[in-house]
Amino acid sequence: MILAIIIPVLFPFLWMLTSSFKTQVDIVAWPPRLIFSPILQNYERVFREQNFLKYFTNSSIIGISAVSLSLLMGLPAAYSIARYKQKRLSMFILIARLMPGISFLMPWYIIFSRLKLMDSYIALILSHMLITLPIIVWIMSSYFETIPIEMEESAMVDGATRQRAFLSVVLPIAGPGIVTSVTLAFIFSWNNFMFSQVLSMERTRTLPIAIYNFVSYAEVDWGAVMAAAVAIMAPAIILTMIFQKYVVKGLTMGAVKG
Amino acid sequence: MAMERNKGSFLEKNLHIIFPMPAVIFVVVMMLFPVVYTLFLSFTNWNLTSGMPLSIVFLKSYQKVLREPRFIAALGRTFSFTALAVVVETILGMIVALILNREFKGKGFAKLIMLLPLVSTPVAIGIVFNLFYDPTIGLANFVLTRFGFPRQAWTGSPVTVIPSLAIVDIWQWTPMIALILLSGLASLSSEPYESARVDGASEWQIFWRITLPMVTPTLLTALILRTIDALKTFDIIYAMTGGGPGYASETLNVMAFKYSFEYFRMGQASVILVFLFMLVLFMSLLIVRMRKSLEL
Amino acid sequence: MMKSKLMLVILVVLTVLSAGAQQKEIRVLLANHPYGDLLKAAIPEYEKATGVKVNVESLQESQLTTKLTTEFATRSSTVDVFMTRPLQEAKMFYKNGWNEPLVNYDFSDYPQNAMNIVTFGGKPYLVPMIIEWEVLYYRIDLFKKAGLSVPSTLTELELAAKKLNSDDIAGIASRGKGAAAVTQLSSYIYSYGGTYLDKGKAAFDSKEALDAIRFYGKLLANYGPKGVTNLSWENILPLFQAGKVAMWTDASVFYGQIVDPAKSQVNADMVGIANFPAGSKGSIPCFPVAWGMAVARQSKNKALAMDFIKWATSQELAKRAMLANIPMARNSVWKDSEVRSKVHPGLIATQEHAAKFGIAYDRPYMSAVGEARDLIGEVIIESINTAGASSKLEALAKEKAAAVNELLQDTGEYGVY
Repeated sequence: MILAIIIPVLFPFLWMLTSSFKTQVDIVAWPPRLIFSPILQNYERVFREQNFLKYFTNSSIIGISAVSLSLLMGLPAAYSIARYKQKRLSMFILIARLMPGISFLMPWYIIFSRLKLMDSYIALILSHMLITLPIIVWIMSSYFETIPIEMEESAMVDGATRQRAFLSVVLPIAGPGIVTSVTLAFIFSWNNFMFSQVLSMERTRTLPIAIYNFVSYAEVDWGAVMAAAVAIMAPAIILTMIFQKYVVKGLTMGAVKG
Repeated sequence: MAMERNKGSFLEKNLHIIFPMPAVIFVVVMMLFPVVYTLFLSFTNWNLTSGMPLSIVFLKSYQKVLREPRFIAALGRTFSFTALAVVVETILGMIVALILNREFKGKGFAKLIMLLPLVSTPVAIGIVFNLFYDPTIGLANFVLTRFGFPRQAWTGSPVTVIPSLAIVDIWQWTPMIALILLSGLASLSSEPYESARVDGASEWQIFWRITLPMVTPTLLTALILRTIDALKTFDIIYAMTGGGPGYASETLNVMAFKYSFEYFRMGQASVILVFLFMLVLFMSLLIVRMRKSLEL
Repeated sequence: MMKSKLMLVILVVLTVLSAGAQQKEIRVLLANHPYGDLLKAAIPEYEKATGVKVNVESLQESQLTTKLTTEFATRSSTVDVFMTRPLQEAKMFYKNGWNEPLVNYDFSDYPQNAMNIVTFGGKPYLVPMIIEWEVLYYRIDLFKKAGLSVPSTLTELELAAKKLNSDDIAGIASRGKGAAAVTQLSSYIYSYGGTYLDKGKAAFDSKEALDAIRFYGKLLANYGPKGVTNLSWENILPLFQAGKVAMWTDASVFYGQIVDPAKSQVNADMVGIANFPAGSKGSIPCFPVAWGMAVARQSKNKALAMDFIKWATSQELAKRAMLANIPMARNSVWKDSEVRSKVHPGLIATQEHAAKFGIAYDRPYMSAVGEARDLIGEVIIESINTAGASSKLEALAKEKAAAVNELLQDTGEYGVY
């Protein structure tokens, strides 16, 4: 039973992984070849030829910055929404999530280039924040709601202000929720294709775009595409494995505490 | 002490304004210009291929676009894709959550595997699935023929393309629904179950009368997010069919992209975007309303 | 006296130094294309020789167009030189005033039909770089086994496809994916005596063009690979490489990929290249200029850009490209003996044929070509879906032709040629 669930989920990853070690001939062979002699050229091509490390660094810088700034702005906002029941505010921030991405492209392009911010990390970080901020606010506002208000109230009885209670009492125990929202927000930023494609230039190019490096005018290098796909998803997957407990706990905690 | 209290009381009294302010300012700044600009463009006929500067035509672009059969068809496809994907994800997610809702060895591992699809890069998945779906050399048909089924055209036929794309979306997002439901199930108290079992209720009755109602609020929260994203699905359609064959998999978002960056009809593309935004807004308000009514 | 002289000298020295201290830089946008790769590898030579720093970016072709358009349309571009597809973009870019006219360039080494495409109002706006032409790739071994000779007419092509078609191997493959198929269909249409645009008006609803479209639909529906309406070159190529296709009509540029042993199961000695088979009006393949290079009018470094483009499209680099199997537009490199000895004879022969009899357009040449291709693609797909037998085809073609005419009128190109 369990296997029936796990196998379809896992299958595409396994196939991608094995393909990344095959030559193009082996990948497109029919019937599909299960036994083949593995090669490392695909990964070589991905890492060496295409400057993979730079893309990796860019995606990381942008992701970490976007998430950090979003936390800075999002945590207070989420707290406020939870405690003051500001449903309208919550909807407003979510609207950013509702807009189709394309509508942002041209206008942002105009603004950023006028401000001479093109090919700067700032432009990309700001655009990615529009993805990460709503996620953090959404998850954390639900999470804060599950923290019993008695905790702040007892702190306030002792003379602390509300904001002090927020900082010293609520935040410290919000760890799991923060980890959940941060992990998810980071991953969405990591996987974003559209914004990065239009707003980035060579210096700030991010990983998902790198896959198209192997889709050329007259060839598709499937081996390299597979290797690139594996390389792009590996960090997100590793992150998930490390924080798995938190992510799942974060989802669970919200429900249990209530 | 008194001084601190006084200073703090201004901040404290207006906390509900000051705390959210940075976030609100950010959203306004980043979104205001694009929203206004898109709205403005939708009232023009700006078309880069004509080489002529844009002129304001008020509602003419709306008339042109909203009446076009291609637009209406795209609208229909947006709904059918979203409905198919979300409904299947919900049902499958529920089933998976029920199955996993017990203690067993390797539960943590299973949960981990479940997380993998939703953290993968959609564009990469799309490209990989493309090869997978190839009617001649793809693995999908290989597996089918091994089980005695006829070869499918998958994304190559206008009839099967939307379900084929939906399968990719389902593969990627069912785990999320399942995990959210799983956590919802795990938090349910066991009392109602015990008394129901004592009363001799069947599994199906238990599920329908007890589990489902209790877990619905959680479900609806997950559905809001998923529906919004499904309506706006872009990456996988772009990477896999580009809206084809013909226009058979062209949803509103894909059509807007084509109008913007392939036909360069900026004015009309903006109309589609405005409409899509309204649609997403409407659908999410609908679900929120549903959730509210259940909270009673 | 001495003091002021000294001041003068210092001033001059400082000026010279500061001028030199400003690093000369240009930004170049290339496509993911073998020639783009060649240029990228050669750029360090250029940088060394001129001291100019070249910031290169390469993108997949449609993403390149998106980026260029976004940058130019929002008047916020820093691009100096870019690769571009003349038949897809040149008209639109020219109309929007995004290309710089190239007046100090010697175009004598380029064929007239290529120059016709890139010249507007008497001035050239692009340098033609890379040419392509329609060929028929075929499996020598399969033909031998079936006792067939290479088809020289479209009728023979159909017969051969029928004979070679089996459950396992498609008799013939060609693009069926709507807009993408338009370029390959062009050769079929020309060979039947039809065309896409005639004197600035849509003409693909003519009897000749429809005959070709029906033939194409019949051919692919009966003997083509499964799911052909979603297949473009990037899908057919791996099929051919996997040995699943007996014949393939497409552009000459794919030969290298087909016989690359790291990618393909078919050996070089199993693959033949033949002229596009003749229709009722003869063998008239398309012979387009696939890629060119241009200088951005919004560029702030036009002198440097001109210098770069002269180097990037020089005869020397063209010869290097030819030796790497990239077909270039310049006349001289095709006559070069070293080149002739290295390039596959099939490519040389088919190029000569195409240069003599081919037509330089492979799509309707208009600004709104993206949309026009989608419209024509609808007709193609209807034909394939009904194996060429659709009774609605004439009406559909008329409808789409009217739509294309509307596009032409909207952009002021109707009747202009």
